[in-house]
Amino acid sequence: MNIYEHTYILSQNLSSKDLKDTRTKIENIIEKYHGKIEKVEDWGLRNLAYPIKKFKKGYYSNIFFSGTGTAVFELEKFEKIDENVLRFLTFKVKEVPKENSELCLKDENK
Amino acid sequence: MIRKNFKKTKKKINSNLMLFQKPGMKFKRECPLSEKNAPVINYKNTKLLQKYISETGKMLPSRITSVSYSKQKELSSEIKKARILALLSFAND
Repeated sequence: MNIYEHTYILSQNLSSKDLKDTRTKIENIIEKYHGKIEKVEDWGLRNLAYPIKKFKKGYYSNIFFSGTGTAVFELEKFEKIDENVLRFLTFKVKEVPKENSELCLKDENK
Repeated sequence: MIRKNFKKTKKKINSNLMLFQKPGMKFKRECPLSEKNAPVINYKNTKLLQKYISETGKMLPSRITSVSYSKQKELSSEIKKARILALLSFAND
């Protein structure tokens, strides 16, 4: 079992309901392939440094999960096909950080 | 005569490198990222990464910033991650 960090960008045009749906879909895929979600962060709507698919803004979110390589493979397979996912990146981490990152939204605790 | 000339050229190089150091300080040769309580290099910490990037968006060489070899390797991998996720740009005009 490894610990992975996964960040992805969703397109700006999505409604708040569609946003939740795609996020739960992604989390369900991880759990389906015996992964365990350790931490979820929402970075909110941010400006992109350069336009991707003609979008200038995107919804960022970040997941830490422990699992095997098959979970990562199925996740990326889903995200390549889905049009609403602009970018994604996964890599191995040694530990899950306890504190939230600087990019995380501060109003999340409300 | 040869010795004098050699000294002059060495000073010139130092003054050029001092552009990237804090003003009013002596020229520092130590790595700023391997000190005690040094900031952690991470792709989320874009404020730190932007110090080691030129105006056009290229990475600065370690001979200018005096970052150690191992830390420069970490920096370059984190900058590349940030570029893929559109936190930093590949090139600015």
